[in-house]
Amino acid sequence: MIGIQRKIWTLTALVMFIMAAIWIMLTYYNQKTQDQYNDILQRYLRMNEVTSSSKQTVNALNIYLLTPTEGNLSSLRRSEEQLRSAQSSIGMLRNGGNDFALTSYMNLIDSLIETTDRSVLFKSEQENEDSSRAFAEASRISGYISEMTLQLLDIELNTYQQFYRSIIEQAEELKKLGIWILLAITFGLLLFTYWFSLSITRPVQHLTKAAQELAKGNFERQIVVNSSDEIFFLATTFERMRVNINNLILEIREKARLESELQQNRLLLQESQLRSLQSQINPHFLFNILDTLSKKAFLEGAEETSDLLVSVAGLLRYNLKRLDRAVTLYDEVRVMRQYMEIQSARFTERLTLITEIDERCLSTPVPGLTLQPIVENAVTHAIEPSEDGGTIRVTITDAGDRVTVEIADDGPGMSEEKIRGILEEQETQSESHSTGIGFGNVVRRLRLFYGVSDVIEIESEEGLGVRVRLQLPKTRRNDTYDQTAHRG
Amino acid sequence: MHKTISLALGTICAVFLFFTMISAIRFVQSAWQPPELQNRAEDRYRLVLITQDLGTPFWNKVGEGAQAQADKLGANLEVWGTYGEDREDFLKQLEIAIDSKVDGIIVQGMDEDEFDNLTKVKAAFYGIPIITVASDVPMSDSMRKTYVGSDVFAAGRMIAERLVKDMGRTGTVVLMGDSREEYDQHQRVLGVRSVLGAYPNIHVEYVTTSNEEQQIAAATQDVMNRFPDVNAFISVDANLTTAMVQEIGRRSQIEPYDLYSFDDNPGILQLLRQGKLDAVVEQAPEEMGRLGVQLMTQWLDGKTVPLDPEGYPTPIRLLKTEDVQ
Repeated sequence: MIGIQRKIWTLTALVMFIMAAIWIMLTYYNQKTQDQYNDILQRYLRMNEVTSSSKQTVNALNIYLLTPTEGNLSSLRRSEEQLRSAQSSIGMLRNGGNDFALTSYMNLIDSLIETTDRSVLFKSEQENEDSSRAFAEASRISGYISEMTLQLLDIELNTYQQFYRSIIEQAEELKKLGIWILLAITFGLLLFTYWFSLSITRPVQHLTKAAQELAKGNFERQIVVNSSDEIFFLATTFERMRVNINNLILEIREKARLESELQQNRLLLQESQLRSLQSQINPHFLFNILDTLSKKAFLEGAEETSDLLVSVAGLLRYNLKRLDRAVTLYDEVRVMRQYMEIQSARFTERLTLITEIDERCLSTPVPGLTLQPIVENAVTHAIEPSEDGGTIRVTITDAGDRVTVEIADDGPGMSEEKIRGILEEQETQSESHSTGIGFGNVVRRLRLFYGVSDVIEIESEEGLGVRVRLQLPKTRRNDTYDQTAHRG
Repeated sequence: MHKTISLALGTICAVFLFFTMISAIRFVQSAWQPPELQNRAEDRYRLVLITQDLGTPFWNKVGEGAQAQADKLGANLEVWGTYGEDREDFLKQLEIAIDSKVDGIIVQGMDEDEFDNLTKVKAAFYGIPIITVASDVPMSDSMRKTYVGSDVFAAGRMIAERLVKDMGRTGTVVLMGDSREEYDQHQRVLGVRSVLGAYPNIHVEYVTTSNEEQQIAAATQDVMNRFPDVNAFISVDANLTTAMVQEIGRRSQIEPYDLYSFDDNPGILQLLRQGKLDAVVEQAPEEMGRLGVQLMTQWLDGKTVPLDPEGYPTPIRLLKTEDVQ
């Protein structure tokens, strides 16, 4: 990840580097030129020094010859010394072009010194004529030295001409180069800065757009930012937040849906309770009456009537229990049998109940009052209308992790729309003689209870009866049903 | 939009970079290194060729020959000299050369005391060998090591023989010479006389003049007045020839006269081509220069010690009008 800070550092470092490079280059060049100028000046100055010191020597010689004192002699020696040092320094100026002239020049200086010494010697030996002749010669040689200096300068100019021109030319070129470098760097930096700023602002713009989308409530659009700096980090965090919010919203919606379903369910239950309460104004009074009737019938020897009354009382009691509690299949089967006893008292031979029950499955939890309404439905639709009556077969078998409960009749069957209506949990118009709970109610409660939708299937064929098959899971998926039910 | 801006900036930047590169290359290329400094003098002989007639074709050729030979032998030669026979400056140059302690001096001889003084006393004092070239000064006068150049005596004979052939055995011949009477002029005259002396009917008149044009003209007029029947002129100093021929041409036709000279003056060849001169002794200046340098280095190397004091003659030949036309 390249951070924005690092980008800024890079840019600054680049600019600094370029500036430093140019500065070093210019300083180096400046120094070089300065050195060259110094060298050149040095050469000229040294040559000039020879001329002046040679003249000075001749002058000192002249003074000595006129007044030969020790002081004048020592001043002559001093100027000779000076001339010698000038000579040795001039030796360093030798190059291919002036080799011959320079050697001649240095020899001329030697000659001058020799002649001077000769003149001094003659003077000390009182040979004045020879001395002055030597002086004349020395003076001439000094003149030659001056001339030779000019000649050397001339050679110097010729040798160095190209070099001097190159210095001028180079200065000119440097000026141009400076302008070009300035332009190139200006535009290079502009370009770089443009890219650089774009690399920061572009992701920010993307992010802004995404934030606007979110602000509008659009949580579906994915946030994509092509970047590798802090903005990218921000964008990914933002994206995660968006996904989380999106998930939360979905969850809340789901919860709201469940809540409404539960509410509906409770209403249904209350409705069925209300119905039973409506029909059983004072159940305890009724139970007491039924108990009394049963005992009286028993005492009068009508045992069958007594049993029937007990069944009715049990059925009523079961019905009036809190329906929203989970019971076992065993209870359901028991209630169903009581119900069938009562019904067989009504229909006598017309009603035949055949049960095949696997006892091991009876501990399966089921919502209360599920089996009885289905059987009641079968009785109402298959037995009641038929004069010959019919058979109702209840089978409970073990099918792995489920328990299959099958209620089949041999009545006239059910129409397709009706079946669909039941499976879509529409409440059929309540028939006056039912125990109060409709088929649709049962379906809905079963589905809510188990949390699965394929818990019930209904097969029917015209004239071949109805076959209702319940596939009850042995274990419940959740306990929400119970909890909400208890709260109600 | 971004791409357009990037592209535009990039292009401009690239263009400027390109120019920057070109400028930088030019900047680097414009740098010239100053000439390499040397720590010590080159270990070569420093020779000087000094002449009075710098810039004339004759002496240019001497210089070229000498330079070529010096390059070949690895000697350092410089050609010094004066233009137009500036004697004082010439002597000064010679003195500078001696005071500069060159290894060897090849000099055009000048038959003057000052010259002799410089070569005999000063050069000898410094131990500098001197070779005369083209014009000789006797060894006894100059202490020169040797002489390189035409055998002037032979050249004089060559001219005289040609004259006898052209003119016949009778006639008057005027020898025109410089009043300074330098050694080689003297030798030429001797050469001419040694041939013509054998012919009693040939009268030889030797006239000297200074080298100024008016004086030459006057001398020519004078001799023509004195000897109206003059048949031939021999200009023993090439520098006098042009003025002499002009003066003769002014007075009468040139054709009837037989005119002879030597070639060591730039005007001579021109006159010969025009047919105004009948014959000229042609020397070998390049050979003089070459041989001069060679002998000097040989002497310095100690290979040929001593050099032949009689000198080393370079080839001469007679150049006639027909040869150059």
